[in-house]
Amino acid sequence: MNWEEKIERLAARAQAEQTPRVDVTQSVLHLLTAGPAQPLTAAERLWMWLAAAASAVAVPAVAAAFILYTRSAGPLNEIAEAISWAVQ
Amino acid sequence: MEAAIAESVRALAQSAPTQPQDVPADLGTNDWDDVQRTRRGDPEAYRRLVQRHQDYVARILWRFSRDRRVHEELVQDVFVEAYLSLSGYHGQAPLDHWLARIATRVGYRYWKEKARRKGTEPFDVEQWDQAVGDGHATNALDPDDAGALLHQILAQMSPRDRLVLTLRYLEQCDVVETARRTGWTKTMVKVQTLRARNRLRKLVEQSGTELIR
Repeated sequence: MNWEEKIERLAARAQAEQTPRVDVTQSVLHLLTAGPAQPLTAAERLWMWLAAAASAVAVPAVAAAFILYTRSAGPLNEIAEAISWAVQ
Repeated sequence: MEAAIAESVRALAQSAPTQPQDVPADLGTNDWDDVQRTRRGDPEAYRRLVQRHQDYVARILWRFSRDRRVHEELVQDVFVEAYLSLSGYHGQAPLDHWLARIATRVGYRYWKEKARRKGTEPFDVEQWDQAVGDGHATNALDPDDAGALLHQILAQMSPRDRLVLTLRYLEQCDVVETARRTGWTKTMVKVQTLRARNRLRKLVEQSGTELIR
């Protein structure tokens, strides 16, 4: 008996195996009937606008703070160097 | 994804014929009726179609994955894909045949994705020898074990070879049926089958077993 006959016998035997039962009816219909997302409630809408406003304020504030820090760091360093003899 | 499905549902409902059509000669009346109802947006009709054909689809996809979770997901994918392409089904073939093509496509896609992600484990040569021996031992083999062993052996092949060998050995498909399921030409199926068989022979020869005596 050659290799292919053995494979064919094995396959013939496998024909009799029991396939596990599945029931996908609910999941398929759920996927297909799920409509578009529900509209936001008034409270959710309020929180959304609040978050957007906070972000809109926070981003320029961080940028301004960074610019101010870099501008003020120069003169501060000069003062620190000028009085360093007193510290010593 | 859900928005795309909702859009497709609307398109299906719009494309549904307003007048009932004749039932195609080779299609079961129940199936055709439910297909038409589904196109008109009746979810209960599609529920009946799924219930009627899910065992058949599950049997095909068991050849593609023996992991129960993956298997169930693949069956689900087939029916979602079938629904989305239902407008392209004209009843020229029984619904089972049409679903078998989709199932083969879904299973093949799964193999290709899996092959990209990771390699395969070599099959257990000793298990093969014990299970098959001189070939007559297979009659005493548990069908589940036979299916698992064959699945393990064919998993060594490329997805393309595996597909054609699975259809040939496990699904008992001839050239015409394989061509129909895969969407390949008959010539391509013949060539691919020949190459895949040669590679399978080499694979078992390289395993150094008693397999090809």
